[in-house]
Amino acid sequence: MTSTGRADRIRLEWYLARLSWALQDYPGRRRREVIRQLRSDTLAAAAEVGMAEALRDLGHPVALAEGYVTELGRRLPRYTSGAVAAALAVGALVYLSLAYAAGTIDTLEALGGGSVTTHPLGGEVTFTALDGELSVASSLSWQGGLLHAAVGAVAFVLVGRLWRLLG
Amino acid sequence: MTETRDPQLLRGVLPMLVLRLLAGQESYGWELVTRLRDAGLADISAGTVYPVLSRLEREGQVASRLVASTSGPARKYYTPTDAGRAALARAESAWADLVHVVAGVLDHHDGTAVPSHAPEGDR
Repeated sequence: MTSTGRADRIRLEWYLARLSWALQDYPGRRRREVIRQLRSDTLAAAAEVGMAEALRDLGHPVALAEGYVTELGRRLPRYTSGAVAAALAVGALVYLSLAYAAGTIDTLEALGGGSVTTHPLGGEVTFTALDGELSVASSLSWQGGLLHAAVGAVAFVLVGRLWRLLG
Repeated sequence: MTETRDPQLLRGVLPMLVLRLLAGQESYGWELVTRLRDAGLADISAGTVYPVLSRLEREGQVASRLVASTSGPARKYYTPTDAGRAALARAESAWADLVHVVAGVLDHHDGTAVPSHAPEGDR
């Protein structure tokens, strides 16, 4: 019989945290059950063979997570990856808009200053480059909002593989 | 027996073995792993058994109950349900049929026979 100390508990919790991360798209209630059951059984195993051997016996957390997903019998959507992709896609769109605004302001300054107003996607954007003032004022339009939402949604669906929900 | 088994061979029969052992005596996860090892599957890992146990429970083939432990958190003990026992009976029957067929093939074919679909020139 081996005693389980604080360091062993920390190692176990670190392993379970990595497993939980690898199982992040696994159905929530079942994931919590899996983690709870593994905590209990691994502590029982560690009492006999030591925590290092008990964790080694579980294998790499990612491989173990794949084992659970395989036994689920269906492929899971990747919600987390989809959310990250959606954020990156919308972020890229915002970055392009900011880059365009910076370029426009630079151009106005190079031309000696001034102000110009454009109407992209039904909104209104005013670029101003005057002595002591550099500004971009914009109004939101539903078309612009829709474009950003659509870009985010497409990235979420494609990268998140949401069609897996259909079967 | 220390020879390493093909994991694919074991994967197909593991649910049957788990149900059979649990039918004999309810066990918690780690205990089940040790029972499988004691039965001769010395190289089986806990990481292989637990996902199978989880699936059997999700499919209603095993039921579980929590039992307090003096040395840690409560342990989840598993036992086959009626559906699990029926699945076990079917699996054992299918396994017996497969063993019969495989044994027949191994006994009556030495591996040197020319395949029946081979071209004439190859025979």
